[in-house]
Parts: sequence; C-alpha cells; structure tokens
Amino acid sequence: MTQRNDRICGVLLLVLAVAYGWGATQFPEPFGGAESVGPETFPKVLAVVLALSSLYLIVKPDPDNAWPKGRIVLELVIAVAVLIAYTLLLQPLGFIIATLLAVGTLCWRMGAAPMRAYMTGAVAGVVVYLLFTYALNLALPLGVFSVLEGS
Amino acid sequence: METLGYLIDGFGVALAPHNLMFALIGAFLGTLIGALPGLGPANGVAILIPLAFTLGLPPETALIMLTSVYAGAMYGGRISSILLNIPGDEPAMMTCLDGYPMAQKGKAAEALAISAIASFMGSLIATIGLILLAPLLAKFALTFGAAEYFALFVLAFATLGGITGKNPIKTVLAAALGLMIATVGIDSTGTQRYTFGVLELYEGVDFIIAIVGLFAISELLFFIEDRAGGGKGPMKVNKLTLSFKEVREIMPSSIRGGILGFIAGVLPGAGASLGSFIGYTLEKKVVGKKGYFGEGDPRGVAGPEAGNNGASSGALVPMLTLGVPGSGTTAVLLALLISMNITPGPLMFTQNADIVWGVIAALLIGNFLLLLLNIPLVGIFVKLLSVPPKYLLPIVTMVAFVGIYSISNSAFDLYFMVAFGVFGYFLRKLEIPMVPIILGLLLGPEMEKNLRHTLDIADGDWTALWGSGLAIGLWVVAFVGLVLPYIVGPILRRRMNAAQQGAE
Repeated sequence: MTQRNDRICGVLLLVLAVAYGWGATQFPEPFGGAESVGPETFPKVLAVVLALSSLYLIVKPDPDNAWPKGRIVLELVIAVAVLIAYTLLLQPLGFIIATLLAVGTLCWRMGAAPMRAYMTGAVAGVVVYLLFTYALNLALPLGVFSVLEGS
Repeated sequence: METLGYLIDGFGVALAPHNLMFALIGAFLGTLIGALPGLGPANGVAILIPLAFTLGLPPETALIMLTSVYAGAMYGGRISSILLNIPGDEPAMMTCLDGYPMAQKGKAAEALAISAIASFMGSLIATIGLILLAPLLAKFALTFGAAEYFALFVLAFATLGGITGKNPIKTVLAAALGLMIATVGIDSTGTQRYTFGVLELYEGVDFIIAIVGLFAISELLFFIEDRAGGGKGPMKVNKLTLSFKEVREIMPSSIRGGILGFIAGVLPGAGASLGSFIGYTLEKKVVGKKGYFGEGDPRGVAGPEAGNNGASSGALVPMLTLGVPGSGTTAVLLALLISMNITPGPLMFTQNADIVWGVIAALLIGNFLLLLLNIPLVGIFVKLLSVPPKYLLPIVTMVAFVGIYSISNSAFDLYFMVAFGVFGYFLRKLEIPMVPIILGLLLGPEMEKNLRHTLDIADGDWTALWGSGLAIGLWVVAFVGLVLPYIVGPILRRRMNAAQQGAE
C-alpha cells in the first residue's frame, strides 16, 4: 500500500499555502493607513492553518486510493471535454443541438446504445427548451434555429 | 405562547396555495432525489437552487420548496435500502438491516409503508422539538458577540467531520481551502485580493457554482470511472396488507428513534448517520430477545428510519438559529438563504419571522404530504428507481448546466463549474471532504468580519478571541470535536461495520 497521493497533495498544498500567504503580504495598504487588522490578517491565519495541516499530511499520509488506468482515464477526459465543448457550443449552435450532442455523447460513453443515447439527448433538449421558454419564461439560446424565429 | 402565534402566522404563509403547490413539488422531487442512485440530498438541493432563482420565487416559497426537497430526500433514501439492500444515502444504511430481509420475505410493501410512517413520526417529533428549542436558542444566541461567533464558526468546522469522521486533519485542510476561496474578490475595505486582474473574480467566487460543480460534476465523473451506468433490474412490490395493529406496534420504536434522532441532529458533529445508528441500537437493546432483529423485524425498520428523519429536522436547529449548519445538505440550504440576502442566525427570528415560521410550518405540512405521497405512490418511485444512471446522470448534468447558465448567462461560470467538478473529483480521490470547503465558502466573509471586529475592538489583541467564558467554552467544544474522532471514531466505525456484516 503506497501513500504517495497524500504526500504529493500535501506538498502541492504547502506550496499553495506559502504562495497564498506571500500574496497576502503584497496587498496595497488600504486607504486611511495601516491598522492593526487589515485585509491581510485573515488570509495570513488561513495560510498558517493550511501550511500546518499539509505538513501533517506529508508526515502522516493515509493509504492511497487507486487511480483509474488506461481506457477509463480516456473516458474521463472525454467526459470533461464534452462538458467544455457543451459550454463552447451552447451559444453558437443553440441549446437544443448542443444538448443533443452533449447528453447524447455522455449517455453513449456511459454505455447506452448510440441511437438510444442521442434520442435521449434530443428529447431532453427539446423538453427542457420548451419547459424553459413557455412554462418558465426564460430564454435559452436558439442558435441555428433562430432563423425560424425571425419569420 | 408567543411561539404559538408565530406558528399560526407561519401556517398562514405555508398554506397559501402557491406555497402549498411548491411544497408538493418539492416533496415529490425530494423523494425522487433520495431514491435515485447518484443523487444525494445535498447534490439534489444544490441543483435545484439555481432553478429556484431563475423562477424568481420569493424567498419563503423557494425555502419552502427546498426544505420539502430536503425532507423528501430522507424518505427516498430508504426505498433502495429496502428493495435492493443498497442504501440510497448514508443514513439509510441501518434501514437495510431489517428492511431488506422483510422484502425478501415478500413483505416489501409493508416495509416501505412502515418506514414511511416511522419517517413521518421521526420528522414530526423533531419538528416539534425544533419549534420548542429554536426560539430559545435564538434568544440565547443574541448574547453572542463577535468573538463568540468566531469561536462558533471554528466549532462548526471542527465538528463537521462528525464523530465517525476518518481524518480530522483533512477536514481542517478542506475548511482552510474553502475559506481561502472565499477571500477571493474585493474585501470590505475595497482591497482586491487574489483577483489577478480577472474581472469575473472581482465579486468573488459564486458559491452556488462551486457547490453544483463539486457535487454534480464530480458525481458524473465517479460514475464513469466505476462504469456503473447499467443500473438495476426491475423490482417488484407486493400488495400492501398492513393492519392497524402492526402500525401500533412500531409506534414506540418510532417515537424513541425520533427523539434520539432529534438530539443527534441538534448536537454538532453527530448527524443523521449517527441518529439512525443509535436508533437501531437502542431498539435492539430495548426490545431485546423478544425481537428478531436482522431477520426482518419491523421495529428494526422503524427505529433507524425515525432516527434519521428526526436527525435531519434536528439539524435545521443550529442552521436556523445560529447560521451554522451541521451537515452538507443544511449547508446547501444555508447557501440558499445567503443568496436570498437573508442573514441566518438569531436575528432572522425577529427580522424575517414570517420566513422562518413559514418554513417550520411547511416542514410540518411537508411531512403530511410526504406520508400521503409515499404510501400510495411508492410504486411510481420504485419504477423510477430502475432508470439506469447512464441516461439519468447526463440529464442531471444538463439540468445543472442550464441552472447555472440561467443565473448569469455567462460561459465563464460554466467553465468554472466544470473546473470545480474536476477539482471535486481529485478531492474525493484523496478523501478530502467537500462539505467543509462549501461551508468555508459560505461562512468565510462572516468569519472574517467577526475576526476583524474582535481585533478592532481589542486593538489587535488576539487573546480577545477567548476573552469570555462563553467563547472559551466554544473553543473547548471545538477542540474536543476535533480530537474525539481519533479516540471514539475507530470504535464506533467498527461497531457500525460489525452490525452491517452481521446482517449479511
């Protein structure tokens, strides 16, 4: 049983604590001159707390959890990529198409048959769009469908 | 008597037709959220917050809906415990012990009905406890000064891991991270902190985005990793035949469980899991050899169910009166309050009395609704339970996206949410709890304000933080809360595991 995870995490957090604490010393002096407590007081306390607890983590780490390997890493990366692409495409493609693609791809990657996956995406997209537009009166981007709206 | 008048006013609020409707919707959604795999109560409530916003609901309606969701989720968790031996959420673990054997004997419907009645009794007792205790505690809390509040916040963090928590240092670590994220933005003196010139960060990190990202997105990633998209097979429930005598038999167990659960819920660091555990253990002790626990004794279903629902209502006491939540889900409810510009704490009972008492009345009404929903409609929930996560989770994720997007219409917020999701995935891998991070985000500004206040008054003298007897007491409890898990935790955890293994 290795304990590398907690050690690495501890080191990273220690670096963060030092950087954060150093950042606190760099704040400009507030208007009206320095007082006994300023914007930097609380962050400094936090930096100390984080530094101490990350040191503890380095000294006394817990046993590791297994990290995913190979294909599953790929699946996870795909999922995150889909979510980023969803955000990216929401405005230009419109809510319905973007949802069809995003939800469909996620369902498919989680093990649904492709046809059923994209059908789920399409139905979910249309239903939520109609619900938001007509029942809740909220505008979601129409994207490529906006040509229909003008007429 | 004052309380009674407020409560009647509260019923006036809660019984308004649109509030009643939202309570019903909330109760239904809550049961669903509790029942479905991969959608814990905190997660479910978090996803619904942005929707409550975009609907433009008035604060009392939004709160009524979400407390109904909260109450409903506790009901829902038991369904899969009983039918599948898989707890829908952690507190429902003890329900498996006797619920599943009952289902195996062909008494699934009875087990479900008994647990619904027990849940109802537990919540009812705890809500009455809440009505009696909350105003007293609120009055007491009015004597708190800045130093006491600071100590109280520390106590909240220290006990958050609970007595059964694994590594208290990781709770401290997580709390520090959450508080650090809360310092991002422009502070009260107008100084920019950690904004790095990014315009979107000037107003700080929106905790709703953080909450939804940490819970919803990381859950999706975990399901993908476990390849658990397949779901479970269809389940059958027999026709209900429950006599009045059987209901009467479980009443003492429900009442005992409810009272114990309430106490466990109010106390810092105990929580619903412990409530249901104590509820079960006590039943076993009280009934003794006359029972057949572990083999489908109805009292073994009633005790822990009443305990877990009692605890979840009890957990609202510190949240409403002190503004200090004791669990993940109450933290999310606190997030809702803060974002509606209501400062929780003792002053809420005077300044927003209509909201507080409306919510408490809604809790009572919600329980009746839940009982009505849960006995005849349990078949529907059972059907929905067999929706495989591979369809469910992508849709839930999409709803989370829509919710966040509809708050601000900004893509930046969505990227931020995804980033928080990935962050949450790593945290869970490292077993760093996420609730302290969220609590840190929520309480950070208040905590800093109270620290500054204390130090300003005392002219920079740090000992002012433990200047009063009350403050010292709070610090001591906080310290004990942090150390106790090291001593008692392993023993309690072993017992809970042993109880579970003994049943299998």
